[in-house]
Amino acid sequence: MNDVARKPEADRPPPNPNTKGASRPQDAEAEPTLRDLGLLKRLLPYLRPHWVMLAASFALVPISSLATLLQPYLIKHTLDAVLVQHDEALWMRMVTFFGCAVFAEFVAGFAESYCMQLAGQRSMVDLRREVFRHAQRMRIRYYDNTPIGRVLTRVTNDVDALAELFSSGAVMAIADIITLVGIIVFMLVLDWRLSLITFLALPPLAFSVNWIRKRAREAFRAIRARISELNAYLSEQVQGILVVQAYGREAACAEEYRRINESYRVANYRSIRLDAQLYSVVESVSMCCVALVLFYASVRAGVIEGSARQAAYIGTVVAFYQYIQQFFVPIRDLSTKYTIIQSALAAAERVFSFLANEDVEPVDTEVAPNPALAAGTPAIDFDHVDFSYRGDDIVLHDVSFHVAPGEHVALVGATGAGKTTTVSLLLRLYENTAGAIRVAGRDIRSVPRRELRRSFAVVPQDVFLFAGTVAQNVAFSPNEVDDARVRGALTRVGALDLVERRPEGIHTRVEERGANFSAGERQLLAFARALYRDAPFMILDEATANIDSETEARLQVAVSELMRGRTAIVIAHRLSTIQKADRIIVFHRGQIVEQGTHQQLLELGQVYAHLHQLQFGDSNAAE
Amino acid sequence: MQGIGLLLVTNALDKGIPWLLRDAIDALVGGRLGAVARTAALVATLAISMAVVRTMSRTRVFNVGRDVEYELRNDLLAHLHRLGPSFFQRVPTGETMSRAINDLTQVRVMVGFGVLNIVNSIFAYTIALGCMLAMSPELTLWAVLPFPLLVLVARLMGKAMFSRSQASQEALGALSSRVQESLAGVRLVRAFGVEAEQEQLFEVANQRALEKNMSLVVLRGVMWPLLVGVASLGTFLVLFHGTAMVRSGTLSVGGLVAFLAYVESLKWPTMGLGYIMAVLQRGRASFLRVCEILDAEPDIKESQHAENPAGEGELRVQDLSYAYGERSVLSGVTFTAPANRSLAILGRTGSGKSTLAGLLARVVPTPTGHVFLDGDDLTELRIRGLRDTVGFAQQEPFLFSDTIARNIGYALPETDSPVAIERIRAAARAASVLDEIEDLPEGFATVVGERGVQLSGGQKQRIALARALLPQPRVLIMDDPLSAVDAKTEARILDALEAASKGRTVILVTHRVAAASRCDSIVVLDQGRVVEQGDHATLVGGGGFYAQLAARQRLEEELGAL
Repeated sequence: MNDVARKPEADRPPPNPNTKGASRPQDAEAEPTLRDLGLLKRLLPYLRPHWVMLAASFALVPISSLATLLQPYLIKHTLDAVLVQHDEALWMRMVTFFGCAVFAEFVAGFAESYCMQLAGQRSMVDLRREVFRHAQRMRIRYYDNTPIGRVLTRVTNDVDALAELFSSGAVMAIADIITLVGIIVFMLVLDWRLSLITFLALPPLAFSVNWIRKRAREAFRAIRARISELNAYLSEQVQGILVVQAYGREAACAEEYRRINESYRVANYRSIRLDAQLYSVVESVSMCCVALVLFYASVRAGVIEGSARQAAYIGTVVAFYQYIQQFFVPIRDLSTKYTIIQSALAAAERVFSFLANEDVEPVDTEVAPNPALAAGTPAIDFDHVDFSYRGDDIVLHDVSFHVAPGEHVALVGATGAGKTTTVSLLLRLYENTAGAIRVAGRDIRSVPRRELRRSFAVVPQDVFLFAGTVAQNVAFSPNEVDDARVRGALTRVGALDLVERRPEGIHTRVEERGANFSAGERQLLAFARALYRDAPFMILDEATANIDSETEARLQVAVSELMRGRTAIVIAHRLSTIQKADRIIVFHRGQIVEQGTHQQLLELGQVYAHLHQLQFGDSNAAE
Repeated sequence: MQGIGLLLVTNALDKGIPWLLRDAIDALVGGRLGAVARTAALVATLAISMAVVRTMSRTRVFNVGRDVEYELRNDLLAHLHRLGPSFFQRVPTGETMSRAINDLTQVRVMVGFGVLNIVNSIFAYTIALGCMLAMSPELTLWAVLPFPLLVLVARLMGKAMFSRSQASQEALGALSSRVQESLAGVRLVRAFGVEAEQEQLFEVANQRALEKNMSLVVLRGVMWPLLVGVASLGTFLVLFHGTAMVRSGTLSVGGLVAFLAYVESLKWPTMGLGYIMAVLQRGRASFLRVCEILDAEPDIKESQHAENPAGEGELRVQDLSYAYGERSVLSGVTFTAPANRSLAILGRTGSGKSTLAGLLARVVPTPTGHVFLDGDDLTELRIRGLRDTVGFAQQEPFLFSDTIARNIGYALPETDSPVAIERIRAAARAASVLDEIEDLPEGFATVVGERGVQLSGGQKQRIALARALLPQPRVLIMDDPLSAVDAKTEARILDALEAASKGRTVILVTHRVAAASRCDSIVVLDQGRVVEQGDHATLVGGGGFYAQLAARQRLEEELGAL
């Protein structure tokens, strides 16, 4: 349970200002730094399939850089053509070259970013699919103590944060380095003395940028901590609004919130100041470089012999001015890119630690031949089964029963008696801790999960409908829907008329969670889905909700239709269902306490009799 | 304002540098080397003072954005505090949070970044164009030639960006709900073995999100080179005509260089225009969403002539009906809770008893003329005074992420003084939770709630109960405060409650006959109507609804004992 144990940053509570002394050291834990870039290595497998695009993008980097870097160089030569060579043809050529460089910069720049985006976004789609697939494979017990929201965040927000690496161009930080190197080379080629003068500005620049960046990182971390504190406080206020209002604590809470808000603002002020400083320092240092170049030019020009060479020097100064400006742009954008890379690293850590969580259902490989059911073999056989969700908290104890082929068995018991758990074990959603469960004579542990589950049709208590058409929901599949079979299933549960009443019939859209269908309709759709499945075993967890009598009548008919000709286990809540069952198994506190028919158990006068009177006491009086 | 003044100075300094550059180059051409050195010194001076002014102007302008955000946040919470349940039922917590987080950010970006860019662009243009015109009107014309195109491109791009980013957001939203759906149904998906089919559904949404995102990203990709390209077109035109002018002697070399620098310096503000459009549009939409909350009408309002409650604490309910929209919850409820007595409101789930409890405490909008505290209409009382007089413990115990001491002492101004600590302990004892709190490693200093130690439902309920008992209000309304407590603890708490309720009016809303039976009188509620009233003995003897419930619950107990 790696993912649970290591709560990732975003889910982790921010330090609570009110808990003096209550230390929670993990809160002080640093965010991933560039040193954790190794995490990104794990992205490589996802990038590999798209290597052509990536390679193309990287191959274009020198071209677009060159096109950019050539521009000041060409300006110099244009000026030279006018001032030194006085050659009109050369001048025309240089101006044309400049135009070409501008155009090349545009084309290469676009192609480079397009290829990078395509590769990046596609690999993120792959990663997202992988995370989703992994979520689908996690053992059900993982979902027992992990909020869905957290898993959802892995698939959506975290992958988005990683994708931002590509869409923001942070990956292109590499290209920035190439550009920087290119600028240095061009400058050296033009005039090495002037270059050295320019580079004089670099050490103080590097020093101050680093100084600011370090503080900016601290400020940034403070902002992150404050904002999550602020949001947590607000969220709690909204959830507990009734308490706040009932105790008249509005003013005190507003004051507390203002206090957190103020410290958030102060942290932001700090970050803004640092950011402004960084920006200004970079701009001003670049201008100081210009001053240095000019100053050196004034010294140097006196030394240079001949007016022609002196004139040529002007072009060089102009080109330097342009290079200096280009040189400082990537340095200025450094902090933005750093932020993006940092949050991507944090996301990568969460995503990959989720993927590394090995608590998944193993893929069953062996496919044993399905033996014909020998006469007398029970269809379903529970043999001294024990189960606990964790440790000593025993949920089922020594459960033994069997169901003959074609038999209909009703499981009855109070809430929490173990009925639903029994059924979950049968489907291998959980593994029993002791004893054996056999289906059609085979121990379910030797049957591949998929094959096992495919031999059951399940109707859960809470109907699950997904956004799609009615037909897709009945078939539980987005494709290969056999309309005739869907209609058949709907007819048999008596729901076709309800569906056909809608303008689009079985192709009516089902909204998220089936919001546009009534509870009864949803129940019938779930029945139809089970019939569509046409599996030999049926598991029905009856809904407890009260439904109007017309629908109730429909449901009763549908339930009989559902079970006809199949081996069925029903977690029953309706008297009609229980009475129709061949046998009733009574669960009480995780054990089977009674078995028999309705009449037999009533006469026994024990648990079932009590339950019956509790649940149906009123209706009995009416009968 | 100061920030804007500083921006003006920054721009003036910034645009002064190319001007100096012209002088320097011309001096260099003319061989006046001393002048070159002097200009260089001037450039350096300008650069350094610019560092100071630019830091100040950027700080000021961005701080304004943060100030606006700060005020909006405070206002938002203050307003949320005034809103009643009708708002919180309509707007889910997630939605409120999203507005407080995402939308406020957009507003701040609009105010900070947006203002900086608009004002900055105006200054940059005015000053640069002024300088350029002063040098050469002819070349200025050539330089600004591609600008209309640049603005057009920026605008078109900005618009397309906006719509495409919305489309991309929607696709991501759809993907997110698809995943949520699959995860919510994970058990059934597993039981049916339809993981592959679910993956297909996911994949459709995944591919769609890719498509939408790519169309956005391509635009972002093309936008940058295109803007740079169009801006470079200006450089190209200046270079072409400028050099021609230098050759014909109508422009100095320095002038040309300065022109190139000005064109270059206008690149960024112009490109920024594209972004600003999107920022402004998004900021406006977000601001409207935030305003939806700020403009929501509180449904519990204090009347103008409100007075503080004064009296013994008798609650009278007269023909009270209530409905959530179309659905009627209570109809024609009438009863009286005499002062200093206990009254139980008994009913099954969905009988309307929780709503009734809320109406009695006016945490739900109580209609005028139906509920009276000591003869005064509840809605005519000062809310502050009402809250002090009528204590209310809700059914779902909500604890704050704070220490147990602070949770129990929620009504106290401070919880650290010996007096406060004693009161907190007394309340905990009365709610029968003292021993369990002291058994925790950190005792009363244990942090609970969403971000603290997880307590059982029963413990939470009893802590919430202690919180309600502590201020010793004259009237105490408890909405099923013991639903998550076992029978033995319940009996113990009820004993304590009986002691604590001496000298006050207690209204106990419950679904348990055992709890109701200990009250002086009982009101039985079914489907929003009072079906029986009386004390326990009378009601059991009456053989009606109450008697049935009593028999049923006895049966349950028997079953539990089997």
